[in-house]
Amino acid sequence: MAAPLPLISLRGITRIYQAGREQVRALDDVDLTIQRNEYLAVMGPSGSGKSTLMNIIGCLDTPTAGSYLLNGTAVEGLDDDALARIRNREIGFVFQTFNLLPRADALHNVELPLVYAGLSIRERRERAREALAQVGLAPETKRRPNELSGGQRQRVAIARALVTSPSLILADEPTGNLDSKTGEEILAVFETIHRAGNSIILVTHDENIARRAHRIVRLLDGRVSSDVVRETAR
Amino acid sequence: MSLLESLRLALSVLWSNRLRSFLTILGILVAVSSVVAVVAVIEGLDRYVSNQILSTGSHVFQISKFGFSTDHDTYLRMLRRKDLTLDDAVALERTMQHARAVVPVVSRGATLERGKEEARGADVVGLGDGYPELRTLDVVAGRHLTRSDVQGRRFVAVIGEQVREKLFEPLDPIGREMKVGRHRFRVVGLLKERGSVLGQSQDNVVLVPVTTYRKMYGRRDPININVRAAGADVLDEAQEEATLLLKLRRGLNPWDEPDFSVSTSEMFFELYKNFTRGIYGLTLGIVAVSLLIGGIVVMNIMFVSVTERTREIGIRRALGARQRDIVIQFLSESVALAVLGGLFGVLLGGGAAVLLERVTPLPAAVRPWSVAVGLLLASSVGLFFGIYPATRASKLVPVEALRHEN
Repeated sequence: MAAPLPLISLRGITRIYQAGREQVRALDDVDLTIQRNEYLAVMGPSGSGKSTLMNIIGCLDTPTAGSYLLNGTAVEGLDDDALARIRNREIGFVFQTFNLLPRADALHNVELPLVYAGLSIRERRERAREALAQVGLAPETKRRPNELSGGQRQRVAIARALVTSPSLILADEPTGNLDSKTGEEILAVFETIHRAGNSIILVTHDENIARRAHRIVRLLDGRVSSDVVRETAR
Repeated sequence: MSLLESLRLALSVLWSNRLRSFLTILGILVAVSSVVAVVAVIEGLDRYVSNQILSTGSHVFQISKFGFSTDHDTYLRMLRRKDLTLDDAVALERTMQHARAVVPVVSRGATLERGKEEARGADVVGLGDGYPELRTLDVVAGRHLTRSDVQGRRFVAVIGEQVREKLFEPLDPIGREMKVGRHRFRVVGLLKERGSVLGQSQDNVVLVPVTTYRKMYGRRDPININVRAAGADVLDEAQEEATLLLKLRRGLNPWDEPDFSVSTSEMFFELYKNFTRGIYGLTLGIVAVSLLIGGIVVMNIMFVSVTERTREIGIRRALGARQRDIVIQFLSESVALAVLGGLFGVLLGGGAAVLLERVTPLPAAVRPWSVAVGLLLASSVGLFFGIYPATRASKLVPVEALRHEN
């Protein structure tokens, strides 16, 4: 029996930024393998490279050196269109600041990735409603982001990340702009969708939040400083 | 994203910035409305001029003391020329081989009266008896002026429809009397209604024998001589013949420049064509400048729009929009803006043309091709000036766009 193909395989990932005449090594030779259906937290102080790692895994940025296999496909060297397609099909982003389109209502926001996937309006509606229901929102939500509470906004954002059934949900400080009670609710939503079979990478600097994940990767100065799998009860 | 969807999105964005969108399209609006309005007015004029002026006398030419003058000196020189005389007309009629009719024409304004009724500003036209041959005047009742009317210097008149209406309604004017100034005339004929040219009624007119006219008003009014050639093929010969005969009568050598002018309605038409070409040229200038300005405004506003929506662009890119999708999104917006400007321009220009036709004597005809040209110009401007901002939007680095603070 062959070993299962990892979801993500990073080998020697290095990312160097040119800041004026200085070179900044945001990531330095990072190796990381992530399996399907993992719930992983990336921790580290600011400047440790966790955002850069996020962007590279999310195909928003490309490494200066190293190889990145997503579902067995080499990502480095792909052109812009191919990267857009991967972001569209394989990855669901959840941002700290929600990043919803202010002019569009909740349903339209959730539909947006499907627009770029080229689905018909009917299909989009249907899947967006399902996704909204999955995060515990009324599927007929016609309200705009500014008419929603912070928690509701983040639920809409999670629904938007889920709607394409991606291989991976990438969440960057998803509770950072929420009060602790609402943050707790959002973490519960992540746990629910993890149990439903989704793979999640959650970036945080909060120890308590990281502890909810099943594996914690710590970054320091662009390197992996620790990688701990916690055997907590499911 | 499909084109239809981008268009819908673009329209909703433009609608949410109504005032800004409206201000943005002003330049294009001006350009397109001038195209539509100017073309409408000039095409209307064209139709009119060819109907009214050109058709008033085919192979007819006019000999007059004055020609076209564009400066005061030429005018003064023309003023010193000898008047044409009734004898000139008679001589031409007797000797010309290529003329079917030679008609002296002289006119002035006068007030017509009958009892308490009066018609002001009527044209009193003195004519030689050959005028029915010019084929520009028809009678619907009574008769034309005749040779014996002219030779006998009779006080008989053929009146226009408007004169009949003002002085004789509801009576039959034929055989009744009226006054031209202080002279009594008997009406012998009624002209067919001719309508108006550029707001000037052609029916407020009374035709009298040219000899009677002279008896009433003396010799001060300059006589013109209208000649109808025997056929279109001898129009040139007829003009040369008349020119030569008149030179000799006026004591010039055949090789001298004539001291009178010979013109045809075709020449009028030619002059008119030059005039409209000038207007078209001017319009072209206005249109080009306003399109350029309109385009630059569109481009600027699109840059503003791109900057304002940097975050949105980042979000869309993160969710899977390709560069192409972003380009299409912003291009749809600039094209939609420009086409809206074009549509409003068509409405405004068409409206202006219709209004002009209603309140002024200028005729107007909105041409479908001018609408098409206007909209085509507008959309090209939207496309052309939208390319740069749209491309710039698509080249934004997703990570940086996402970090952008709005």
